[in-house]
Amino acid sequence: MRFLRNLAPPVLFAAGLVLVWHLVTDFRLVSPVFLPSPGRAFGELWIRAQNGTLWPPLLATTQRMIVGWFLSSLAGIAIGAAIGLTPMVRQLLEPTLEFIRPLPASAMIPVFILFFGLSEKMAAFVIAFGSIWPVLMSSIYGFSNVRIRLQEVSAMLGLTRVEFLQKIAIPSAMPDILAGMRSGLAVSLILAVVTEMQASLPGLGHDVFLAQRSFRSAELFAGLIMLGALGVIINHALQLAERRILRWRPQRA
Amino acid sequence: MSLVEGQATKPDRARPPGAPALSVRDVSVTFGAAANRPVLKDISFEVREGEFLSIVGPSGCGKTTLLRLFAGLMKPTSGAMFFDGKPIAGPSRERAIVFQDYTNALLPWRTVAGNIALSLERHVPSRADRDAQVDALIAQMDLGRAAQQFPPQLSGGMQQRVQIARCLAQQPRIMLMDEPFGALDAITRQTLQDDLLKLAAQKRMTTVFITHDLEEAIYLGDRVHVLGANPGRVIETIEVGLAKPRNQLTTREDPKFLAHRHHLFGLLQGH
Repeated sequence: MRFLRNLAPPVLFAAGLVLVWHLVTDFRLVSPVFLPSPGRAFGELWIRAQNGTLWPPLLATTQRMIVGWFLSSLAGIAIGAAIGLTPMVRQLLEPTLEFIRPLPASAMIPVFILFFGLSEKMAAFVIAFGSIWPVLMSSIYGFSNVRIRLQEVSAMLGLTRVEFLQKIAIPSAMPDILAGMRSGLAVSLILAVVTEMQASLPGLGHDVFLAQRSFRSAELFAGLIMLGALGVIINHALQLAERRILRWRPQRA
Repeated sequence: MSLVEGQATKPDRARPPGAPALSVRDVSVTFGAAANRPVLKDISFEVREGEFLSIVGPSGCGKTTLLRLFAGLMKPTSGAMFFDGKPIAGPSRERAIVFQDYTNALLPWRTVAGNIALSLERHVPSRADRDAQVDALIAQMDLGRAAQQFPPQLSGGMQQRVQIARCLAQQPRIMLMDEPFGALDAITRQTLQDDLLKLAAQKRMTTVFITHDLEEAIYLGDRVHVLGANPGRVIETIEVGLAKPRNQLTTREDPKFLAHRHHLFGLLQGH
């Protein structure tokens, strides 16, 4: 019951928004060439679900996003651990990173196309390049804030370097790592879409782009709805995983 | 419990009681450029095998620094320290330290059992053996109901028990305790004091116990070193000589206890 009561207001708000959308199109306040009615947009989704053309682009985009995100998370955690735990590495890398960080990932697309062509490899690198920053920054923070007392405990118990990393440093930095990974995943989705548009790789981004070019507004909005839904689902999945991994943390009200 | 006890009396650790376990010679510590204001100055003493040594002193007298030296977590500016005849070069599993701030010293992401297991994982590879040792320690430290809970869910007294259990798991030859009960309420504190005394007697455990509480120092100790501040140095050593086992009521009312208390109180007044 309480679950329902908590769920009701946001659902009603969203429904209200769709209603406004419907009225706007119903009274022709905006031309249907630009803005389809919600009926047409959701109808498009229904048709695609029926004839099976809904899934391939969704799958392609999701896969691209996950691969890039996985790469950036792995690299981000590794580099973050190296920087956060060893001042020497920090000194060595930080100026270079500060130079690279402001470069927009979309500006790097031409560079990566040059190296890897219009390929999945190129997409993976672009997405990884752009989505590494949140996880890298929060990993650095997490690893450099491992409590000194725990380093002393580790020394007194005679833990090896590897044991320290595995049993103390990584779990200690985990809340920060996960927060960074969650932001990184959002960036990955954005960059998956941008890369598809720029490099004509099949996927939701490419579909949306083509629909806009040929003024098929229903298709365009169907694509946007799917992108939004994808974002909601992955964010929730990650939140669930986070709650499971960090179940030792005292629950916040 | 018998398991842990059995290991505590391995033949290689049989040293005659009363022989020096840890000795400190002319140890001084200065921090940074303050060479004219040492934290510790020319400290020399011995910790005897099997004894319970209390070290008491006002804040700022370098008690914690002294304990960190014993642990090997820092090095003296000058002087030498020996454990078992060998110079102390760094941390070692032979010497366990119980920190005052148990919240920082425990791993909040591991259960009570997991925290205790931390000190065994590489040294006791068999899962079954390790679990048995952890279970024995949990029983010994009265942590039974909390075994699968996480430290932040426990009271301060329980968390400190977990830290002591983890130190016992490493089977140290000396237990270094840095004001371990300083943050606990009076009743919890007394219970832990008595449990610690029982433990020390059972295992004939060599213990160095730092406190700023005179009564605690006398109640627990076989001997008490009194440290003065500015610079930190030993200003007095007393042999406590109170009957064992000690008792929270009768021991504290014993005329000898009161005499020690008067004497130490007077000593620390000037500081």
